[in-house]
Amino acid sequence: MAVTVEMPKLSDTMEEGVLSAWLVEEGDEVSAGDVVAQVETDKATMDLEVYDDGVLLKKVIGEGDAVPIGQLIAVIGDKGEDISDLLSGAAGDGTAAEEDEEAAEAPSTEQQPSVSGDGAARQPQHARAPAGGNGQRIKASPLARRMASDHGIELTTVDGSGPQGRIIKRDIEARIEAAPEAAPQPAVAEQPAFEAPAGDAYTSEDISQMRKTIARRLAQSKYTAPHFYLTVDVDMAQAIRARKQLNELAEEQERARISFNDLITKACAVALKQHPQVNSSYLADEGEIRYYNQVHVGIAVAIDAGLITPVIRNADRKGLAQIAEETRALAERARNRDLQPEEFEGSTFTTTNLGMFGIEEFTGIINPPNACILAIGAIRDEAVVEDGEVVPGKRMKLTLSCDHRIVDGATGAEFLNDVQAYLEEPMNLLL
Amino acid sequence: MPELQFREAIRAAMVEEMERDEDIFLMGEEVAEYNGAYKVSQGMLDQFGSERVIDTPISELGFAGLGIGAAMNGLRPIIEFMTWNFSFVAFDQVVNNAPNIRYMSGGQFKIPIVFRGPNGAAGQLAATHNNSVESLYSNFPGLKVVCPSNPDDAKGLLKTSIRDDDPVLFLESELMYGMKGEVSDADDYTLPIGTARIAREGDDVTIVAHSKSYWRAMEAAEELAKEGYDAEVIDPRTIKPLDIETIVQSVQKTNRCVVVDESNPFASFASEIAFQIQDQAFDWLDAPLVRVTAPDTPAPYAGNLMDEYMPSAKEVIQAAKRVMYVD
Repeated sequence: MAVTVEMPKLSDTMEEGVLSAWLVEEGDEVSAGDVVAQVETDKATMDLEVYDDGVLLKKVIGEGDAVPIGQLIAVIGDKGEDISDLLSGAAGDGTAAEEDEEAAEAPSTEQQPSVSGDGAARQPQHARAPAGGNGQRIKASPLARRMASDHGIELTTVDGSGPQGRIIKRDIEARIEAAPEAAPQPAVAEQPAFEAPAGDAYTSEDISQMRKTIARRLAQSKYTAPHFYLTVDVDMAQAIRARKQLNELAEEQERARISFNDLITKACAVALKQHPQVNSSYLADEGEIRYYNQVHVGIAVAIDAGLITPVIRNADRKGLAQIAEETRALAERARNRDLQPEEFEGSTFTTTNLGMFGIEEFTGIINPPNACILAIGAIRDEAVVEDGEVVPGKRMKLTLSCDHRIVDGATGAEFLNDVQAYLEEPMNLLL
Repeated sequence: MPELQFREAIRAAMVEEMERDEDIFLMGEEVAEYNGAYKVSQGMLDQFGSERVIDTPISELGFAGLGIGAAMNGLRPIIEFMTWNFSFVAFDQVVNNAPNIRYMSGGQFKIPIVFRGPNGAAGQLAATHNNSVESLYSNFPGLKVVCPSNPDDAKGLLKTSIRDDDPVLFLESELMYGMKGEVSDADDYTLPIGTARIAREGDDVTIVAHSKSYWRAMEAAEELAKEGYDAEVIDPRTIKPLDIETIVQSVQKTNRCVVVDESNPFASFASEIAFQIQDQAFDWLDAPLVRVTAPDTPAPYAGNLMDEYMPSAKEVIQAAKRVMYVD
């Protein structure tokens, strides 16, 4: 009995996955637990395991194909088994690897009914077919759907001239006919004013899963969470001293060195415990504000393909050494795109640091469903006034972006003041 | 080829077959002495005698059953119903015994019988004499239902029906008995049951129609041609077994289909075509199928209402334009 393998949901935010590589061939024996392919999700490249024993009868999608969660990607069964039923179920959605054979023998006569007499009388009423985006279904005749699929035409871009805006054969034919004219030939100037550089005007690439997710989530955040920003300038002199001492110990004990970022993670975690409103989520759909009893700090890590935020769980209860070690390991895995979903999901607060690039200050976009994000600037040498004298000082700007639906100005300021206080007197972190 | 009336073509088929095979006989009301209520069997009593051309009392249940018994005993009866409206009093014989005995006897008895007679509306005859039975009888497994639209098909198909070893219901039309047409005089001219005829080729819309409705479809096709639309008209000729393949191929070319059928619409032959096309040609359809049928009411008596009741060429044109998305 053949069984299907579908695109699994590999992360909370995943909506589709790209099959980046097949690791077995059609006809190979597979056993439950075998990794048969790698799937690129919005966050990471993950292994696709199968849950059944048998022969991989069919790869329904090819390497590089993107398919939504739940869609058929392979069939496992007994050698020689007839799986046409299972495959025909997948054929209709246009992503199946093989074209329906019958589709090739399209009707030979594709022209519209010809008309004599007053052609104007036949001009169809153009009603815009409801676009797919707003949840309304697109009305199209079965033939129009098939023709659109054969010609790679998005139905959402076609005006339907049939009843209730139904897209019909002639609408697709009109589109096919219009297509070559859509890209007008550039007019040739007789005497070019300058020599244009050789080569194409631009290069393009497909938008990666990760890019799509970043775009979707950050746009969602900016559109729905009213942001406001609070900035403090933190005196880092004590923190620098404390770190120096801690790292001397770390060297002796052969432990991971502690970074300023680790100190800030710890300071935030302890302060979050004291400010539950900052460690919360505004969940409009559920009609509730959720205060988290645990503190999970996400740390934005830049990687080649984009950005990911591994999470230090229960950071308020972890020592600096452990935070340093975990952060280093997670960042390394993130760069290798090896993170497992549980390692980058479930943050209750996030920090983002551009200090290493010399950025003095900036504002972060809140990582939903967090209430706040802390943007960390560079530590700078600054002339400061101490006891009436100008002396050299070390300063660092922190900017807190707050979701005003949950966090008001005073609430955010009190939290940020506490973070500042912990960093200016790091011994308090030990208490 | 000689030109024959529809009734003459049917008679020619019966006469040729009865000359060929002594086991064949004709039985029904007024078929012998009166030469047939519609003169279909004119002269047959004189030619074959009263043992093979037999008048019956007005007792459809009785003589239909008698025919089935004769068939079980090796004869090949042709049972004429004066009209198919009267077959309803013989319903049990037609739908229960005729199609089931071969199956229930494990093949010990064949039932090589033809029930024939005029079907459907024939002017102002009122509700009880206006029934079209093709949808009804084709619902029963084991019955073949043949419904020709012209004399040539009638002759070729009736000869094949008489030679068939299973029951065949052969549906004629009172209004078409006088219709003339060229009929093949080839020796032993037969046409296979279950083969549709593409009567007119076209690329713009498929119109499926049988019997009288076929002529409405052809009139509509001529009118549509004047407006520049090229209709393909298919006469299924046999309701069951149905040559759906020919229809599907046509719909794959035209992407749209109208079915014309003077039966009432609910659970009808037209519905069946619609089902089979969406089943087999879904991805070729550019519009939902449209049926042109009698309405779901008893047939009226008044002449003006009867004109409204019957499928017309005008309705077929409207339906064709609807599936072509014009007007």
